[in-house]
Amino acid sequence: MRTSGVTDVVVGLNPNDHLCWPFDDFAEFRARAAEFLADGLQLGQRACYVARGDDLATHLEAEPVLAEAVRDGRVDVVSLESRYRTSTTVTPEEQVEAYAEATRAAVRDGFTGLRVAADATALVLSPGSLDAFCRYEHLIDRYMTTEPFSAMCAYHRAELSEPAIARLSSLHPVNNARCAPFRLHATEDGIALHGEVDGVSRELLSLALRNTAPNQGALRVDATGLRFIDHHGLLALHGYARANAATLVLRSQRSSLARLVSLLELDDVECVR
Amino acid sequence: MTGFYHETAFYDSDDDFLTIAVPFVEGGLRAGQPTLIACAEKNTTLLREALADDSAVTYLPGADQYARPADAIASYRDIFGGLAKDGATQIRTVGDVPHPGFGVPWDWWGRYENAVNQAYAEFPLWGLCPNDTRITPAEVLADVARTHEYVATTAGDHLPNPGFGTGLPLSVPVPDVLEQGTPLVVLVDPTPAAVREAVSASIRGTRLSEDDAHDAVYAASEIVTNGLSHGVAPVRFRLWADDSRVVVAVTDQGPGPADPMAGLMPTTATRSAGLGLWILHRTCDYVSMGRDEDGFTVRVSVGGSGHT
Repeated sequence: MRTSGVTDVVVGLNPNDHLCWPFDDFAEFRARAAEFLADGLQLGQRACYVARGDDLATHLEAEPVLAEAVRDGRVDVVSLESRYRTSTTVTPEEQVEAYAEATRAAVRDGFTGLRVAADATALVLSPGSLDAFCRYEHLIDRYMTTEPFSAMCAYHRAELSEPAIARLSSLHPVNNARCAPFRLHATEDGIALHGEVDGVSRELLSLALRNTAPNQGALRVDATGLRFIDHHGLLALHGYARANAATLVLRSQRSSLARLVSLLELDDVECVR
Repeated sequence: MTGFYHETAFYDSDDDFLTIAVPFVEGGLRAGQPTLIACAEKNTTLLREALADDSAVTYLPGADQYARPADAIASYRDIFGGLAKDGATQIRTVGDVPHPGFGVPWDWWGRYENAVNQAYAEFPLWGLCPNDTRITPAEVLADVARTHEYVATTAGDHLPNPGFGTGLPLSVPVPDVLEQGTPLVVLVDPTPAAVREAVSASIRGTRLSEDDAHDAVYAASEIVTNGLSHGVAPVRFRLWADDSRVVVAVTDQGPGPADPMAGLMPTTATRSAGLGLWILHRTCDYVSMGRDEDGFTVRVSVGGSGHT
């Protein structure tokens, strides 16, 4: 079971958790990345630190466990450019495959999986690269639902706009502050929505949905953790499913969502508990 | 006859009610027209006893048919559409539209009487809305006069109603009794998220059902969203509650929606603000909308047994 929620600690997470970590200063990023990776080593995962700048290994020196692991090769320290094979815009499918191969290699080498902490700010600086990275974020999130890969995606706030931070945050099952009113993440058979969707977040939902794809003719949305969605949000989900020739399947323990579906006469929506 | 022939009548005795309603029903039955009776219990009983053969009458319990105006419009449009599709060239209905004389607040029914002139215009419908002047308040009678194009008399005439469409505003919505107390919550220009949180917190200790609680949160969020996007600031949100009922009122300084159908009929996607208002008209136990010296106010009541 993957973690879903808002947190201010990076330890105690599962081997396939996906965390968004907007940060204000680099010392904070390095400290949290070190904690996150050290926790992964405890779980037997190979660790990988990805950042910008020189002498990246020195970033982890303050944490003795990591300093040792860097020396004995359980932690890779990699520049952003070499890890993502670009300094600007990722190719989402290729990058997912690269991490999949790195995860398989880690398992072949006797690790339980792979854990990455990355400052990915440089890869979301233009509108086009942000779009590509958002696609990648959801694709890699889907990969994580079944494979022993976990990641902390860190973003330097000062270099990014609030809406960009909100888009990135909304695509992670775990984030560190209420940067986005909802979270949309992958499940084994579809997506899950948590938090609240209203008029303010309408556009953000449409942007997040664009990264998702129905599975076998169905857009399965686990809305168990969705505290509120208005008719615009529901119609956006319905419209997206229809535009992709899929049936919207909504899972919720509450009757309110099914009542709204019925009131709007969305007869092709399936509501399940 | 094509189109909606919207007719009222005024009576002050049971005999007069029957003098107007029985020939209307029997005329429909004789002509083989689908004929519906959606009256409150008392008038239903009077008609059942007075009609020689009512086997072809469709009785719709008035309390169900007139639970909410938006429900009534949706249900009637379904019924009328089906009958017209099956070839009916004239449909007759006689109904008791609720008002304070039946223990029900008027505002949204006044808007209903106005809106149905458009909402039913496409059907070959003759609708008779008789009013018992013994129990109907003056402001209701004034709205009835403004909203019905025709008036039936005990002499058997069906006359143009001179008061119809005089353009006067519908009666001003009346505050809820709970509003006599101090509001539990007052917020000015709040975000919809803050409103949802305030409503959830306020009703946590009440006996509202889970569905009612959701309806109250949804309505509050939607009205504030509408006020912020279509109204004129400041948007003032207030909430009152007792142990079984919650009342929310949102006031802005704008004129409110110009469309008399607002909230009563679902609008197209291009006017989706109207869809939100319509949803709360389908889910809340009472919704009033109107202008007074404070501005334009939407108020809803959810839960409880009565709402005055």
